Amino acid sequence: MNKWNLFTRGLVKENAVLVLMIGLCPALAVSSTVRDAFGMGLAATFVLLFSNVIISIMRKKIPNEVRIPVFILIISTFVTIIDYVMQAFQPDLYRALGVFVPLIVVNCMILGRAEAFASKNSIINSMLDGLGVGLGFTLALTVMGAVREILGNGTFLGMAIFGEGFKKSPVIFMILPPGAFLVIGVLKALINKYVKKEIQ
Amino acid sequence: MTSTRNMVLTLLIVAIVCSVILSFVYSYTEPLIAETQNQMTLDGLKQVINAQEFVEIIPDTLWRAVDSSGMLTGIVFRVFPQGYGGPIPITVGLDLDGKVTGVRVASAAEGLKETPGLGVKITEPEFKDQFIGKCGPAVQLKNDGGEIDAITAATISSRAVCNGVKKGIETYLNYLEKPLDKKCVFSGAQEFVEIIKDTLWYALKDADTVGIVFIGITQGFVDCIKFMVGVGTDAKINGVKILYSNETEGIGEVIREEEFLDKFKQGYPETITGATVSSQALIDAIKDYITRYKEYLK
Repeated sequence: MNKWNLFTRGLVKENAVLVLMIGLCPALAVSSTVRDAFGMGLAATFVLLFSNVIISIMRKKIPNEVRIPVFILIISTFVTIIDYVMQAFQPDLYRALGVFVPLIVVNCMILGRAEAFASKNSIINSMLDGLGVGLGFTLALTVMGAVREILGNGTFLGMAIFGEGFKKSPVIFMILPPGAFLVIGVLKALINKYVKKEIQ
Repeated sequence: MTSTRNMVLTLLIVAIVCSVILSFVYSYTEPLIAETQNQMTLDGLKQVINAQEFVEIIPDTLWRAVDSSGMLTGIVFRVFPQGYGGPIPITVGLDLDGKVTGVRVASAAEGLKETPGLGVKITEPEFKDQFIGKCGPAVQLKNDGGEIDAITAATISSRAVCNGVKKGIETYLNYLEKPLDKKCVFSGAQEFVEIIKDTLWYALKDADTVGIVFIGITQGFVDCIKFMVGVGTDAKINGVKILYSNETEGIGEVIREEEFLDKFKQGYPETITGATVSSQALIDAIKDYITRYKEYLK
């Protein structure tokens, strides 16, 4: 598999949220606005990229029996770093994401890539894989966030895009939890129809 | 055996390296985090009153607003009334006449749990700017006899904001005048001499020491309780006043009632049924403080 494929695989074909259906908890919970969704996606991408690289560097030195605790240690270190940095420089975003920042530690997408890929592959490949999966996650969240924010609040990144009338009574239910399930369902259906066929 | 040692060593080294890295990141970001949070609090306060500086009186709850020349322009306080989905964090500014200068309701990102699209409308200027210039009884919904228009389909949230602002005004209004009137706990005294800054005073009558007045703090059921007590030289309590408490509405908050506080004048009262923790905390704390300040009573 060439390097380009390694990178693009995680974007759409094996998109963590919409195809593999993992990492759903943050995807459903913080995709009510584009900003939150994008911020969450980037935070997860940062953790995924760096934990993949470090784990790949150490892959021959980690004894098999303790690999999971070591992975968790490395992942939680990066999550704590992003937690501090976000708190210092993006306090609004940090407050909006709340508990979902520390919860990146237990995002099965990240541990999954460490276990299934980074611990068996070269540094460059692990980096591309982490970046691809991370950006795929960001893409899925941002699309969900965009649909939900536009319909549910009449805004995109906080800017009003419809007239006053819409702003007064938008489709509120889109930014409530049921909206998240509806949007993810529709996106999943679209992916199944247009993308999955190619894979099979 | 080598493999066990190997396992332990690997985990140990990884853990140490991770901790070292984290401690560096923490020491670098910690001052930045503190500064951002201060700035955010300050920005929030500036939105409700026109002032340059804020002097904290009760941490995270009450500030004195001071303009550029150092003159008191009013106070700012925070209240958390129970809304439809949870407590609503509100910041309110009051000018020297006790009129509201501005109301700020925290956004959903800052912890507001009202229904999106309905209750959340209490954050919009159309609603919250109604409070500006109002005072006392006017701060109520029109249905309840006040002057505030409720938001359609969000009456509970609207009423909660009104109640919070109203209760806050009642609680903190006395901070607008003399910082603390010690006479309300020691009516027999004419003068007060400070012994410990902002904490302990001698009560004087005709140049004789007749007792002491002190401010104490204790942990209640929900939050701290701050109180002022006047004690005569005969070790009898002259008066008790609650300066700050944030106990359960309708239960623990009965410790604020005159009926309960007046009982201290005849010795220590019994705890209040249903508010045992709050009242016991207050009684114990007052006992403790009096023991501590015993020597000043001689």
